Amino acid sequence: MNRVKTRPPNGRSAVGNQVNFTAAGGKEHVAARMAEQTDMVLLDNVSFAYDGQHEDIKNVCLAIGRGEWVTLAGANGCGKSTLIRLMNGLLRARCGCISIGGVRLESGTVGVIRQKVGMVFQNPDNQFIGATVEEDMAFGLEGMCLGAEEIGSRITRYAMRLGISGLLHRHPQELSGGQKQRAALAAILAMEPELIILDEASSMLDEKARGEMLELLREMHREERYTLLSITHDAEEIAASQRVLVMDRGRLTADLAPRELFRNGDLLRLCRMELPFRLQLAQELEKRGIPPVPEGDPAGTAAYPVTEVMRKWAFNWSM
Amino acid sequence: MGIQLEHVSYTYDARSPLRQTALRDVELDLAEGALTGIAGSSGSGKSTLLQLLNGILLPTEGSVKVLDVRLNAGEKLPKLAPLRKRVGLVFQFPEQQLFARTLEEDLVFGPLNFGASPEEAAASARKALEAMGLEESLLGRHPLQLSGGQRRKAAIASVLAMEPDILVLDEPGATLDQVSRTELIRLLHRLCKEEGKTVIIVTHRLDELLPYADRWIIMHDGRPVFQGAARGLVDTAAKLPDYGLSVPLSIRCWHELETAYGLQAEEPCLSPAALAERAMQLMEADARKELNLCVKSC
Repeated sequence: MNRVKTRPPNGRSAVGNQVNFTAAGGKEHVAARMAEQTDMVLLDNVSFAYDGQHEDIKNVCLAIGRGEWVTLAGANGCGKSTLIRLMNGLLRARCGCISIGGVRLESGTVGVIRQKVGMVFQNPDNQFIGATVEEDMAFGLEGMCLGAEEIGSRITRYAMRLGISGLLHRHPQELSGGQKQRAALAAILAMEPELIILDEASSMLDEKARGEMLELLREMHREERYTLLSITHDAEEIAASQRVLVMDRGRLTADLAPRELFRNGDLLRLCRMELPFRLQLAQELEKRGIPPVPEGDPAGTAAYPVTEVMRKWAFNWSM
Repeated sequence: MGIQLEHVSYTYDARSPLRQTALRDVELDLAEGALTGIAGSSGSGKSTLLQLLNGILLPTEGSVKVLDVRLNAGEKLPKLAPLRKRVGLVFQFPEQQLFARTLEEDLVFGPLNFGASPEEAAASARKALEAMGLEESLLGRHPLQLSGGQRRKAAIASVLAMEPDILVLDEPGATLDQVSRTELIRLLHRLCKEEGKTVIIVTHRLDELLPYADRWIIMHDGRPVFQGAARGLVDTAAKLPDYGLSVPLSIRCWHELETAYGLQAEEPCLSPAALAERAMQLMEADARKELNLCVKSC
């Protein structure tokens, strides 16, 4: 079920879109939802330190509803990958409470939770096990004790979906970087997890493959059976998602709609993000006194009349 | 001297039934002191091509000439250490080239290996660290304890520290945040223009590199299907989808401007600022023309 439309704007402060997740309101909200146990991801006051002393993740409270598509943005080294590794027990939180799909993460529940969470890493080499792409896809499915027929059918289906049918008999190390990343994603999708976490999974893909992957994410989101959490620096991927979480030095500092992020210069700087090309060009044109042609209004407005000269190249700045 | 590839083919597992040809009869000429961008879809042979440039892979057919070293298929190898000192290669995945116990050890490894004194090596390491915008506090960390982006910067810094004449980078911007990607391209552009280094970058993001690259190579199915400057790439952009690439937005915008103003064979402006500036000039020239016409007809 897609609960997105009914979600309250949880944890948001009245000031702009920046959020103080350590504020009492946010905590209470998360605590209340902990009791509900209906969200896909619930983090309550989670902290973590690699060296046991200096916190790399600081008091993070977060709720992600089932079926949501959320992106996680922030500068290199701000803790994005660390945060998601806490969610399936790859790293153990120093304090706080984590619950995935209604199951609280504890030593006895790690197995159950890992079945719910499919994770695709930055470097696909870190997750290949099989001697061929097909074996690699089968590995996870065999672990789920599926029948041979079901395993075969899922491999065929997801290999086709990711365009790697021709690579099934190849050794993962023989593949190019982009092919590896698609093979890694196919192996995870075939397990049909509820929560899919992508750690810059499209970073090695070429533009066309990145576009295809974005389309795949859109499709998966429409199916409503997956919750998607994606770490990315890609403006288009962020724009396509429903919600962006911004991290800075181990804290969640904002939770907002993508279009709000693109309008917020301070937050963009914090994430070390640049505007998409079209918006950059629109800004450069505006700096030179050439306003963008308003959509559906080719004559412009009284404030920004579009002259004949400008109309020769009516640059459409909308994304 | 530069880099020349003559009839180069490369086949993985050439003697096994799993043989797989990654490069086919490649003829290439890469100019010294230029910044060259290489693009192509996944599996088109880009990474294989790069690994031929410092002898990590040797051609299965043909001949690779890098500076004054020639690597001929099937012949006894010349000593590769001098070549590797002059050609620094940054791999696609940083984990493949970080191996020391701390970031500092990784950074000084290259310079020490090529005969620098410990003091010189430490100075090169710090310079490279600063160039990549990494904090000194990270020096004591194990390289694999760094974040993905920091690790990539560390891998690039470890090659910069060797101060090679030719810098070859395979997708150096992947997993970096956007500002870091732009900073890296500017740094490489500066090293090329101010210090005369030859820079070769494989990228999936043509838009980002287009304003900086002197030359482009488009790879498809193991062959270079385009070699030339940005102007040539703009002219042949319509073919890019045939090679599994989409037409970069900056080229699409430039095409729109060319069509609108009837521009011909003009050096393309491919950064947002340059494009906006050119559009402005054209609009102003048009306005002046209209005004003149108006004055004459009055």
